[in-house]
Amino acid sequence: MPPKSRVAVLPRPTLGPPPAPRVPHPERYALANGLRVVAAPRAGVPQVALRLVLPAGSVAEPLEHPGTASLVGHLLTEGTESTSADELHARLDLLGAGVAPSVGHDFTEVEVVLLSETLAEGIALLAEIVTRPTFPPDQTERIRAESLDALIARQDEPANVADDRALREAFGAHPYGTPSFGTAEGIRAVPREALAVFHAAHYRPAGALVVAAGEFDPDELREALQRGFAGWTGAAEPVAYPPPPARPANAGRLVVHPWADAEQSEIRVIGLGMERRHPDWIRAGVANFLLGGSTITGRLGANLREDKGWTYGVRSAFSAGMQPSGWLVETAVDVEVTADAVAETMREMRRLMDERVDDAELRRAKDALMLSLPRLFETPTSVAGRLSTLEAYDLPRDWWDRYPAAVEAVTADDVQRIAHEHFDPDKVVRVVVGAMEG
Amino acid sequence: MARAAGAEVLHSPAAATISERSTRTHVTDTIATSALRFPVRTHALGNGMRIICHEDRSAPIVAVHLMYRVGSRDERPGRTGLAHLLEHLMFEGSLHAPKGQFDDLLERVGGTNNGSTWLDRTNYFETVPSNAVELPLWLERERMAFFLPVLDAEMLEVQRGVVINERRQSCESRPYGMADERLHEMLFAGGHPYAWPTIGYMPDLEAITLDDARGFYQTYYTPGNAVLVLAGDISAYDGIALAERYFGDLPPGPSIPPLALPADPAPSADVSHETMEDDVSFPRVYAAWAVPGYGTRAWVALDVLAYLLADGDSSRLQRALVREGRLAQDVDSYLYPTALCGVFGVVATARSGIEPPALESAVRRVLDEVASDGVSDDEVLGAVRRVRRDQVSELAMVEERAEALAYAATVLGEPEALERVMDLYAAVTPEEVRRAAEEWLGAHRAATLVVVPRAGGAEVDDAA
Repeated sequence: MPPKSRVAVLPRPTLGPPPAPRVPHPERYALANGLRVVAAPRAGVPQVALRLVLPAGSVAEPLEHPGTASLVGHLLTEGTESTSADELHARLDLLGAGVAPSVGHDFTEVEVVLLSETLAEGIALLAEIVTRPTFPPDQTERIRAESLDALIARQDEPANVADDRALREAFGAHPYGTPSFGTAEGIRAVPREALAVFHAAHYRPAGALVVAAGEFDPDELREALQRGFAGWTGAAEPVAYPPPPARPANAGRLVVHPWADAEQSEIRVIGLGMERRHPDWIRAGVANFLLGGSTITGRLGANLREDKGWTYGVRSAFSAGMQPSGWLVETAVDVEVTADAVAETMREMRRLMDERVDDAELRRAKDALMLSLPRLFETPTSVAGRLSTLEAYDLPRDWWDRYPAAVEAVTADDVQRIAHEHFDPDKVVRVVVGAMEG
Repeated sequence: MARAAGAEVLHSPAAATISERSTRTHVTDTIATSALRFPVRTHALGNGMRIICHEDRSAPIVAVHLMYRVGSRDERPGRTGLAHLLEHLMFEGSLHAPKGQFDDLLERVGGTNNGSTWLDRTNYFETVPSNAVELPLWLERERMAFFLPVLDAEMLEVQRGVVINERRQSCESRPYGMADERLHEMLFAGGHPYAWPTIGYMPDLEAITLDDARGFYQTYYTPGNAVLVLAGDISAYDGIALAERYFGDLPPGPSIPPLALPADPAPSADVSHETMEDDVSFPRVYAAWAVPGYGTRAWVALDVLAYLLADGDSSRLQRALVREGRLAQDVDSYLYPTALCGVFGVVATARSGIEPPALESAVRRVLDEVASDGVSDDEVLGAVRRVRRDQVSELAMVEERAEALAYAATVLGEPEALERVMDLYAAVTPEEVRRAAEEWLGAHRAATLVVVPRAGGAEVDDAA
């Protein structure tokens, strides 16, 4: 083989102007019973992603029974007024439908992914499971037992222990401090009747919304929704949120959860963050991107992974919530360098507070965020996910149209202010699951 | 758990979009599954590099996918993990795009990039807004032609550390994290190149030298051993012209010695069964079989069987083990689309109070029932639809479509093979599914590994 150095060096290409992102502009309407509909049809992929969002997350569940919302979500497909669990699963599986309920702190979301040709029957099934579940005793006890086993298995993994501990440290007794899937005590104790009561209170058309994205006929969608959800009535009970904590009890401190024979330590740094509707959300996104939004090029990744080789990855993010629901740094490192990695993480956080970010680095972060927009609306499921977030948090409908200009407007002063408000080591808790010497 | 893990490596012959063709109604009259099509234009450069263009203007982005026909199967014992470690090194810069620039330049234009290594192939891929397509091509040219001058000991040490951490995070420190490695060792006794893990053994990762990395790069990272796919908002005409500009002048590289294959990729005939302790709360049973390779008719029938067994709550194993039998918390089945042979697996985690033998015999009973009594038309119809659902979901992204085309070209010889494999699903009969279970998933061909909670393994669990 000839030496490779004889190959010509080509100059780095100069690029033309970026393409205009194609942000979906969906049709919005409400059914007679108040169910809001967001319809974003687009031909190309013979698939429809339906996402039904209900204000029925774990915040809405009775305080004495954490896990109620999660059990209700998982029991939707386990029997309805007209169809047994086995029949339901047989129908769903014959359609090839993928049904995935997910229960978060604020919302329960039921996503159904269908082949376009099965849209009408898929919507009929979605309506049936969401509006008429019966929580049959034997299925309830099976799901309860499986959930309890899953909670035990979850504790086998240090990363899970670290995640749960971080939430507890940041939010304490606030519902955001408990994982949205609940606790063993809650799941064990909640009576089956309470599941039906929760469902009756929070699964109502007024307050809920459904997003459809993908290849479908809008008229067919409207008719199928009207037919399927016609008998559903009423309004969801308002969810009472307790006031968010003022600051974590252990702010500024290190919490170590020892793990025998650990080769790695799981590290979490958690602060309160901000609610999704906060006017600083985009500014905070830029500041976070600089610190740890990208696992390789963010300051944390450049330091801990690329420079030191201590970790496979490190990232940070603000969580979206109705209330401030956390800002989290997460990584796993060699156990011997645990203390150093925590110290370097704090140093990077403080550096964003103490030194103004220079223009080039800020420019780079803004470009990365703005120009990635064309990728965000590629598939039916990604469109459905982004539209349901806008709708659920009642954000401006032109959010994504205005996004590039909003990112462009972020200044170095904004970044420094956000760093002071959210990345200050005195305002966050450091959690280590593993071992820490020195 | 294993559903996601299985699906993630299962770069299945998925399909998306485009034209409706004739409706196939093989199993019953109701299986309305129009074929999925993705038209391609192919082109070969003078140095042997194959170019595949797939135009789809639905989003203003382009996926660039460069796949080298090299994976952990091309390593030798004592140097396992070399292919994957080299993949990490390839992100550390080149002569004219030094360290840090690769990710930096791509992020600046709104792109993403990644790479991965598996048994049969290594890939590097970028998705960028369509104005920026030349940037990943230039960067890939850089690391195909100008990587060796920057490869040094310091770079190797840092990335060795990253990979060792990756191994700890995904194997040693993860519950059940060592199971797949041991299962493959059992399944592929006798030095078959699928016997060792792609991430490599810890002592081998420690032992890899700069010369190892250089030699591997010089042998395999050549235009003649690569397939380039451009998918998305770009015409075939432009794609081929750009490929010529950025790769056409590179020397072809040495010819690659053929892989010395054992005569029989199947396990050494006898049942193998082992038990392994781990820091876990529940026993988990793993069973695996060596089966025909990706793209064969038997492989497609086995893929339908995998869905019929454990995808969906009405599937056979979900009913027998979870919903009705109440023996398992979860059960999954998977099929690797690997080239030398496929790997079919079943994984089940016990419920509280259930011992592994009960799980093992329940799995065996379900497989035996399929083999002896067969499956229904509706079971096959539903399974084929669920396969199709996953294919459509996966291939909705141009990045995944580019990978599927590159993989078909790398493993099956040409990108058009992807559509051929997809079309085979609609023709699968209940009898073929039954025969696949009988022929390939017999008890005598299984490797079975049972992971059990460590005896006396009480953990220190006090928060400080």
